[in-house]
Amino acid sequence: MLCASLLMWVTMYAQNRTVSGKITDAKDSSPLSGVTVKAKGQTNVVLSQQDGSFTITISTGTNSLEFSYVGYADLEVPVSVNMNIRMSASERNLSEVVVVGYGRAVKRNLTGSISKVGSKEVENFPEPSFETAIQGKAAGVVVESGSGKLGQGIKIRIRGTSSISANSQPLYVIDGLPVISTSQSDITNDPTNPLADINPNDIESIEVLKDASASAIYGARAANGVVLITTKKGRNNQKTTFELNTYYGISNPARTRKFVDAKQYVNLIELAAVSDGTYDFNNGISGYATLDDAISDYKSWYETNVLDNFSLGTDWHNAEVNTDWQDILYKDNAPTKNIDLSATGGNEKTRFYVSGFYTDQQAIVINNRFYRYGGRMNLEHQATSNLSFGINMSVNRSQLNRVTNDNSFSTPGQLVAQLPISPVYDPQTGKLNGNTLYANGLFDAQFNSDKQSTWRTIGNAFANLTIIPSLSFRSEFGADILNLYQEAFQGKQTQDGAGIGKANVIISQAVNFNTNNYFTYDHQFNNNNKLNAVLGMSYLQNDSRGASANGENVPSDAIKNLSGTTLITFANSTNNRYTFLSYFLRGNYSIADKYLFSGSIRTDASSRFGPNNRYGWFPAVSAGWVLSEEKFMKDIPFFNFLKLRASWGLTGNAEIGESNFLALYGVSNYPDLHGYVPVSLGNSDLKWEKTAQTDIGLEFAVLNSRLSGEIDVYQKKTSDLLLNVNVPATTSYQSYLKNLGNMDNKGIEVTLNSKNIDGAFKWTTSLNFAYNKNKVGDIGGQIIEAGFDLTQRAIEGQPIGVFYDRKFVGVDPQTGDALYQGEDGKPTSDYNSAARVVLGKSNPDWTGGFTNTFSYKGFDFNIFFIFQTGNDIYNSGGAYMSDGFYNGLDNQTTDILNAWKNPGDITNVPRIGYFYGSGYQTSSRWLYDGNYIRLRNATLGYNLPKSLMQRIKITSARIYVSGTNLWTSTKYPGDPEVNTQTLGNIGGGQDFYTISQPKTITFGLNVRF
Amino acid sequence: MLGGKLLSLKKLNMKTLKYFFLLFSAIAFITACNKKLDVLPQQNITPDQIQTADDVKALLFGNYSLFQNFDGFGERLIFISDLLAAQDQVDFVGSFTNYKDVQNKAMVTTSSIALGIWSNGYQVINLSNTVLSKIDLIDSSERDQITGEAKFFRGVMLFELVNYFAQAYSDGNVSTNPGVPIVLNAPKYVYDSTTAFVSRASVEDVYNQVISDLTDAAAKLPDFADNARATRYAAEAFLARVYMNMHDYANAATMANDVIESGNYNLVSTFNQAFNNVGNSPEDVFGIQQTAQSNAGTTNNGIITFYATYPTGRGDAQIDGFLDDNSGYFSHFEDQDYRKTYVYVGESIQSIPGYYTSKWSAFYKTVPVVRLAEMYLTRGEANLRKGGAPIGGFDPIDDINIVRARSGASLLSDINGFDFVDERFRELAFEGDRLWTLKRLKLPIDDDHAYNDGFLLLPIPQREIDVNKNLEQNDAYK
Repeated sequence: MLCASLLMWVTMYAQNRTVSGKITDAKDSSPLSGVTVKAKGQTNVVLSQQDGSFTITISTGTNSLEFSYVGYADLEVPVSVNMNIRMSASERNLSEVVVVGYGRAVKRNLTGSISKVGSKEVENFPEPSFETAIQGKAAGVVVESGSGKLGQGIKIRIRGTSSISANSQPLYVIDGLPVISTSQSDITNDPTNPLADINPNDIESIEVLKDASASAIYGARAANGVVLITTKKGRNNQKTTFELNTYYGISNPARTRKFVDAKQYVNLIELAAVSDGTYDFNNGISGYATLDDAISDYKSWYETNVLDNFSLGTDWHNAEVNTDWQDILYKDNAPTKNIDLSATGGNEKTRFYVSGFYTDQQAIVINNRFYRYGGRMNLEHQATSNLSFGINMSVNRSQLNRVTNDNSFSTPGQLVAQLPISPVYDPQTGKLNGNTLYANGLFDAQFNSDKQSTWRTIGNAFANLTIIPSLSFRSEFGADILNLYQEAFQGKQTQDGAGIGKANVIISQAVNFNTNNYFTYDHQFNNNNKLNAVLGMSYLQNDSRGASANGENVPSDAIKNLSGTTLITFANSTNNRYTFLSYFLRGNYSIADKYLFSGSIRTDASSRFGPNNRYGWFPAVSAGWVLSEEKFMKDIPFFNFLKLRASWGLTGNAEIGESNFLALYGVSNYPDLHGYVPVSLGNSDLKWEKTAQTDIGLEFAVLNSRLSGEIDVYQKKTSDLLLNVNVPATTSYQSYLKNLGNMDNKGIEVTLNSKNIDGAFKWTTSLNFAYNKNKVGDIGGQIIEAGFDLTQRAIEGQPIGVFYDRKFVGVDPQTGDALYQGEDGKPTSDYNSAARVVLGKSNPDWTGGFTNTFSYKGFDFNIFFIFQTGNDIYNSGGAYMSDGFYNGLDNQTTDILNAWKNPGDITNVPRIGYFYGSGYQTSSRWLYDGNYIRLRNATLGYNLPKSLMQRIKITSARIYVSGTNLWTSTKYPGDPEVNTQTLGNIGGGQDFYTISQPKTITFGLNVRF
Repeated sequence: MLGGKLLSLKKLNMKTLKYFFLLFSAIAFITACNKKLDVLPQQNITPDQIQTADDVKALLFGNYSLFQNFDGFGERLIFISDLLAAQDQVDFVGSFTNYKDVQNKAMVTTSSIALGIWSNGYQVINLSNTVLSKIDLIDSSERDQITGEAKFFRGVMLFELVNYFAQAYSDGNVSTNPGVPIVLNAPKYVYDSTTAFVSRASVEDVYNQVISDLTDAAAKLPDFADNARATRYAAEAFLARVYMNMHDYANAATMANDVIESGNYNLVSTFNQAFNNVGNSPEDVFGIQQTAQSNAGTTNNGIITFYATYPTGRGDAQIDGFLDDNSGYFSHFEDQDYRKTYVYVGESIQSIPGYYTSKWSAFYKTVPVVRLAEMYLTRGEANLRKGGAPIGGFDPIDDINIVRARSGASLLSDINGFDFVDERFRELAFEGDRLWTLKRLKLPIDDDHAYNDGFLLLPIPQREIDVNKNLEQNDAYK
């Protein structure tokens, strides 16, 4: 026995071989020197020479080489004689290394569906959070930024929405550590985005795990997909490279609504007077003797109470004052500055990446600003030939100056309701106009403040132990620490301050502590079959603690925080914890690099699950067949690469909240008699929502690999949806949580990449698009609603979030009444008898992105479009800004100029009037087609010539000018990327005075030295 | 060479062994993580944490909070009956459809008010049941008081529920008229469909349960209690109301007399001193306490929110009548009666001007539920209707005049039952008495509604009917 193992050691040490080759840049075929070449699974590392050539000695036990170089995607290539390696920063390459859960794999050998977005797509994007940069880059990943306000929560759906009551955001993992991605902010304001604390320029790659085979390794948290983020790391034996990125941008709103001006407003008011007077006279309401009497009476009411009242003595007849309130709420040319400096490199034993950055961005809406600074250090050291350890750590501080939510009267977005005849400053006093139709939000803008500052530390310490060359053990301990402090103040003169002055404080501390410990086994059999296996465990604990206090009654506005208040009206603390304990096993077996098999199983236990269902099992299997390696396929030269793959697996959604399986009592505070009152029923069976997903994919490359792509067809069946089941109130409770509903998602994803022209002038195209169809299955007959104004519902048999209300079908030409679709299908002017029907949905059918990249000599030009079809948008503000005065004398949008005036008029805008207007109730009148295509980014860059750079000892320098959201085509009158609800499952596509997305022009410089 | 390899192998084995040892200890530590899966909630308690006498008392005190809730005496149990008997009393001018429907006697089965009163009521009843099921944890010295208090809550709430959701005791056959479900078992913490589908007991059965609970409460509660807790006299005051509904005048008079004769309560010298107090007034037999941090609501709910003029409250509940032309409410008073002008002028949140009662005019004040004045009127009326020697030894005419004299009204010399009806109106307007007085005497509620009009009952909440097929809806709402 000892002899046999001895022999094994001996033979292993005896067989070495030498491999050599050349490495060039895929873009211009120039040689790449300094590229790190490493034998997979070994520690032996060499660098490529000036001419790009390399020679490395490897031993048996590995048959692949790994290539990595700063700014280029890592490759893993099987060993061959005279290897010719082309590295690229942005092109798709089958040898590219892709990060998977607890390990890495080569793209060619994947049996699951994973989309990769490289650092080039994400860096220097002028938005706070990296998720906006991946929009339109990964098929099936729908990223929705609901508002132009900075730091807002961003809704991401990977292959559709899979839940009704549980959170549907994906799991985010940074370098193996699941991070906090849910808002920790004030619940009375919009949710914010903790991922905005992360510096996008630190990101090396983002892998989105979409199907069950790829994501089931994350078990009970993977049903919504997993987003793996890998930060930049150093390379051994690499001279230290510095990189400086800086840009300056200016932003303006991408698309604003058209409102009437002062003259048009006056005309509309006069029309309203005539309309109301005529209606009153014709229907004998007030009993006027003649039509003229009626009209002149109404005219006098309108002129006195509206025009004279709000013009503050200025001449409204001649539009002496013509305030463009929309212009006032948007800041012209809001600046953005960014500077980022990083250094990366390493010697034989140690490699590092350090960076520091500062970003300061003003939003296009006044008073909103986000700035962030911090640094990162990723360090790894090879202590012995078997043991390496290291740390990845970042410390960031971010500050968000916020405005109130869209629904508050004081928010800048609602300034558009003010009248164009109202001057901004009162001509009598010279101070801000306090006599506007609604309380003037400019007071709030001037005297109120809401500052949220966050210290975020994300750190991960790890150690790698190579036990035997094919078996290694990795242990990681990490923590994501988020400390948030928010201080808000509302001054005495403002509406929110209610004349007395108010302030509040929120302190929130959330800590994610995680440990991963796993073995990795990599073995290549003699017959070119490979086995890779991972076995391990992980434990996650999240503690969220917070305290908040509200106070009021300040002596003056001088002290702009809680300590200035004299009466505390509310104070509370919260304390929540959840834990996950998991064990996982995955095996990948490939036969001759042709037949690929993969299977994984994970068990997750969580403090969230009831005791009867503590542990869940999440298996997945997949297989792949590389047809292009088959003999019969080699006779068909058309396909350079063709792979067919299929997968099936179970994943879970564990966002079911804490302690929901327990029966609970809450505290009651009757004066002097402190007690407990019942809060909820228990359910020991409560568990995760389960999704079974099947995926079939085809990957191909044809025409000399000039055209390559991927097509996936998937089906997700989600069951055990968390729903409230109604029980008789005579039991002391009205409902309890139970897993009982189901939902389906089906879809197709297509990605195509082509190298159209590949000479001195290069042109490549990348197109991805995806279709998703969602259907709500059984929800136990419940009616579950959400939505701001127009109801959105989860209805069995319909997609989630359908708009459900009355259908507006036009205007009666004789009376100007709004017509709705009645129960019998015929138009009726009686709103109450009109039928409520499904009117549309807020989630899109097709989404995608289209990128074209051109390069010639030192210039590069990139143009990127995103598009979306099949969704509808409801303008909840329409009931006030596009209703013709019935719900208020607000300023109107220009479409109201087409209002019905006289019998016989054919128009789509009903009769207007504060007293007798029509069409003012919620209906499909303000429901619009939300399809759009948007020029998301166009960048023109110039790489300064290498000869010039060498003289000043700089490796490369590029200057660029870039535009974001430059052009939009849509039928929607406002910005189509809108959702004031931001994150819910049912509510979506609602616009309520929501801020437009920004259109930004940036000038930047990247220097490497 | 082989020897060298052997040596390195041995060293490797040692190193590997050392690492494996570290590994195993790591794994041992990690499996200890299993205990970490049991996370207790930090802001709530679970039922198994109810272990001591103090815990059980805390459950009992939870009922005070539920009583204070706007679905309880904090607003609706008092306000809704007055909206039903609104004529000459209250006029709701606000925009809340559910309240407008009550005043119009046109409620719908999906009324949130009906559901609120029903569900809050059963929460109180079930919490009392829980306390009674754990009474053994209470120290013997307090056991009577806690038992009495739990039964007080249950009896009072069953009485309120049967009044609102079922036909009056005076209407038809009480042994067959449907009442409300009687729930006497402690609620389960996990949903049990085998016991959840209760049906409506008869009005007679509910009344018997109410009398049983309140009588036991009266026997066990102390005469005095701190912190405005229930006392024997609070139980007896409610019993007086129960017996009046049943026309059991002897018992009604006995109960009312007991409260008066206790000597614990006195009429305050001027009418206004009985209202807007911090803490019970000398006249309050039972009152609900409120503070800035603990109250029935200040924006969209709470009795003061509706009755107080804007900008204090919403000002949606105005007096039905005008002082200037002596109409409506004002027509029921003599000019010198303090209660006639215990009003003020204001306007609602939608700028509708009107008169407001001063009874409910300031936030964070005590809500009187039973006042001593009511006990005088009850004793007087019960003695009058019973006939014979008056219980307590005071003539009915003396009882009515004590109340009148306090407010400066002239003393009466010759009275009948209707005088008591009118005096109750004058004394107890806006305090939730009118509807029950008219119903028990079979008097019309207003020009359009007889005392037994089906729309004077609340509908059984639609979601209850949907979930529990054993519940039968009230006829008018079918």
